[in-house]
Amino acid sequence: MAWDPDKDVIEVIRGPQKAGGAGGLYRAFGETLRGLKTTFGQLRMGVDTIQYPEEKIPVYPRFRGRHQLHRFEDTGLEKCVGCSLCAAACPSDCIRVVAAENTPENRVSAGERYAAVYEINLSRCIFCGYCEIACPFDAITMGHEYELSDANRSDLIFTKEMLLAEPLERTPLRAEGE
Amino acid sequence: MPRPVEKLVSLTINGNEVQAPAGMMLADAALKYGDVEIPVFCYDAKIGPPVGACRMCLVEIEGIPKMQAGCSVAVTDGMVVHTDTPTVKAAQEAVLEFILINHPLDCPVCDKGGECPLQDNAFGWGGGLSRFVEPKRHFEKPLALSPLIAIDRERCILCYRCVRFSQEVSEDDQLVLEERGADTFVTTFDGHPYVAPFSGNITEFCPVGALTSRPYRFRARPWDIEQAGSVCTLCPAQCNVSFSVRDERVLRVLSREHDGVDDGWLCDKGRFAYQAIHVDARITEPMMRDGGELRPVTWDLAIETAAKLLSHAGANTGALVGGETTNEEGVLLAHLMREALGSNDLDSRPGGALEIELLRALSAPTLQASVPDLQYAHAVLVLDCEPVDDAPILDLRLRKGVRHHGVKLLIGSSRPSALDERAAHSARFAPGCGEAFAAALSAELAGQPSASLAAAAGADADDVGALAAQLREAGDEVVILWGERLTAGPRGNEGARALLNLAEQLGLDGRDGGGLLEIPSGTNSRGLREVGVLPNASIGLADAPTAGRDSQQIGEALADGDLSAVILLHSDPLLDQPSSALWQRALGKASAVIAHAAFLTPAVLEHANVVFPAESYAEKEGTVVHPDSRVQRLRRSISRQGETRAEWALLAELAARLGSDPKALTCSMVSARMFEQVPFYAGLSLDLLGGVGIRWSEREAAASFPSAPAAPFTLDAPPAAASPNGLLRLGSFRSIWASPEVEASPALAFLHPRQRVEISPADAARLGINHGENVTVASNGDFVEGLAHIRTSAPDGTVFLQTAIPGDSAALLEGPLVEVKRS
Ligand code: SF4
Ligand code: SF4
Ligand code: SF4
Ligand code: SF4
Ligand code: FES
Repeated sequence: MAWDPDKDVIEVIRGPQKAGGAGGLYRAFGETLRGLKTTFGQLRMGVDTIQYPEEKIPVYPRFRGRHQLHRFEDTGLEKCVGCSLCAAACPSDCIRVVAAENTPENRVSAGERYAAVYEINLSRCIFCGYCEIACPFDAITMGHEYELSDANRSDLIFTKEMLLAEPLERTPLRAEGE
Repeated sequence: MPRPVEKLVSLTINGNEVQAPAGMMLADAALKYGDVEIPVFCYDAKIGPPVGACRMCLVEIEGIPKMQAGCSVAVTDGMVVHTDTPTVKAAQEAVLEFILINHPLDCPVCDKGGECPLQDNAFGWGGGLSRFVEPKRHFEKPLALSPLIAIDRERCILCYRCVRFSQEVSEDDQLVLEERGADTFVTTFDGHPYVAPFSGNITEFCPVGALTSRPYRFRARPWDIEQAGSVCTLCPAQCNVSFSVRDERVLRVLSREHDGVDDGWLCDKGRFAYQAIHVDARITEPMMRDGGELRPVTWDLAIETAAKLLSHAGANTGALVGGETTNEEGVLLAHLMREALGSNDLDSRPGGALEIELLRALSAPTLQASVPDLQYAHAVLVLDCEPVDDAPILDLRLRKGVRHHGVKLLIGSSRPSALDERAAHSARFAPGCGEAFAAALSAELAGQPSASLAAAAGADADDVGALAAQLREAGDEVVILWGERLTAGPRGNEGARALLNLAEQLGLDGRDGGGLLEIPSGTNSRGLREVGVLPNASIGLADAPTAGRDSQQIGEALADGDLSAVILLHSDPLLDQPSSALWQRALGKASAVIAHAAFLTPAVLEHANVVFPAESYAEKEGTVVHPDSRVQRLRRSISRQGETRAEWALLAELAARLGSDPKALTCSMVSARMFEQVPFYAGLSLDLLGGVGIRWSEREAAASFPSAPAAPFTLDAPPAAASPNGLLRLGSFRSIWASPEVEASPALAFLHPRQRVEISPADAARLGINHGENVTVASNGDFVEGLAHIRTSAPDGTVFLQTAIPGDSAALLEGPLVEVKRS
């Protein structure tokens, strides 16, 4: 049987069908007043606006913001060995790792291999943090930065250099008990 | 020994009744018939009988007090097996804990990670904890075991697989285990790099990351790549392969185990020459000659020019077709030549045509042996070919047959063979005298006088007698593995007749498990002949309406000006044809040379006017035919590199521009049409071929193969082998490494051969030549230089040179006698 679009229309009831005299008048007026009570009640509580971007909401320490790659503090070598485990764990398939071999002349990481290319496509990332959990070397962690909008999608593909660099502006951390 | 007859036994595995063939190892039977996995490390049926080195596979068998190694116990009737009891579990955990004692925690940096049997077994059967806190053993790492293989000895679990491969499968006897106990390590017996034609297999076969491929080192993880199944077209063995593809690049080639073709192994050319797909030296855009030099041009211009040149030459065009051409390309080229240009001068056999009747007789379905027949026959006669050079993977099959199935290996060749030491008897004859040798052998078998024929072949009459005696005693199932060389050249027809007589003498026609198996000169030679890329046959090996010139005659006609244009489809006559001098003249005279090539090989570089980029085998689609008549399918695995376009489309376009549109819109359309037109392919389709291919000779449609004259033929007396008389007979061979792909692959380039002059110690002493010296080989004013290579097994009075290498190829010399001296 052919589908008849008209038969599929469901009627939506958007309010009382009839205004209904005095009762209707009360409903319209009384309910408005009830709403206004809430509004004026709030006035009493003062202003609570945060002046973003001048001001920022502090985040919890475990907040999962933009990723960061790390180096060893003493040697300056990259912790990432390009093992691709993060890429395997990533549910949205947004990490791309191309590994290469360290040589005595060009030592990038501590292991035999290093990530020659390490890219995260942040426009696909869902900030689940699986990559951080998968990493056997704590080379990648979820940072606190959440200001990630950009005018161009391809600018949201973060390269290794971008991920290794310190974020320009630090996101405030929520203090203990805050 | 003939194939073992399968007898089923029933046993109980974990409470389930299972039927399995008697004699099968328990680990195999459980997995295959009982769907129960018994973990293994050291065992794999394809290296032969188990050694029980790792103890990973322990199981309980009722009636036997101790646990047994599941890989080493054959199934018997009424056996009751348990693989999931607490005892077995405890044993598995203990074995894994023990194996992991010395295994480093390298997974993140190890190339095997993600596809590692040790990871899988540890995860599936391990206890998860180790009590071992002492230091692990340490070795220097990573080291190069060879330019192709990296070895990490810390990761080795001493399973013996690599050593057994080297000693029992490829039989190069190079790998050994040194020292004892925890100090044991894998190495070559003399400490030299492990260089052998099949060495790469151990990187796929090692169950841990101890042996890894250097070209693939750190390129990708299993989840970064896709596996694309296709067929290797670098030699006639046509092994089934799987390309690991990442970002449209082939990063590695693995075997796609096919018992009927390759038995799960690959040669190093097949495994590593994929690199040539992605090198700068490859031609990836059309080029035209401009002021003496080839320069890139647009496709439009190249096609237009080629069409103009061809329409100008018209019927005066010849075409040479190389072995890497697919059937579909062959069909379209034949259309271009016959319909659009009106020329019958096309050939896919180097060195001249064979009478069509004889070709049919040789390809007759009832006479074809299959690859597994090599392993199970009573005897295999290797005639005028060298498997390890001509179709490497068959070398392993023959060794397996001899080692595990008692095949009697017999060899008749001019050049000493790598298989000689495994052979029951080897006979030598003078280069180019295969015809006389085959005639002598069949005369001997028939009990006729053979001494004069043996003398004509330059062979020892006793040798021929001994070979015949062995053949006579062996049994019914005899396979003759013969090289195309036997039927090439001016006396090719006589060679074919002698071979057919020999087959007749042995009663091979229609015999199960025996027959003829050709090693042709090109990968798809068989398919190209069957679809009519021959001067004297049209599609389906039917008679051609008018016979054209064969490859030799095309060369002569070009040199004489009778032909003016030539198409070189994946063929470089300066490398592939027997006489370079003729083809230098021919190409020099030709007014138009249109080449489809992947590399600037000599003929392309010096003579081509228009060059179209050839697709690599990973980019191609179409079908090819294995020498044992298996039709196999090539599938496109990566996008075409650079400006490369589909060649079938290009050939169709050229034909259309020249006024005869083949109406080919897709490649599979051409395949479908071909399956209809070749009577003995009837009913085949690409779907039917699937991933494993189909031997057409085993199907019903094979009955419509054109009939051929029956042996015996009367033979005229073969010409006698030239007597050296102070000079040396010239023999030639093509090395496994002599191909442009090997030369272009960075990892393999070290193997690309230089000319070497193989002579016997006696000749060397007579001529005052020392091993490794520079020598000159000359005839009629032409000469070739190379390094002297003194081979104890080389027959006296003969010198062997390589063909198909640029520069000093044997094809530059005119035989049969040459002079060798120190340069
Ligand atoms: S946070 Fe999740 S989605 Fe984002 S890159 Fe990591 S694993 Fe992928
Ligand atoms: S970030 Fe960690 S998991 Fe990802 S590649 Fe680097 S080392 Fe491996
Ligand atoms: S190198 Fe690999 S294959 Fe060879 S013994 Fe060690 S683990 Fe086994
Ligand atoms: S034996 Fe031939 S087909 Fe097999 S991998 Fe080697 S080159 Fe390829
Ligand atoms: S697999 Fe059985 S002992 Fe190794």
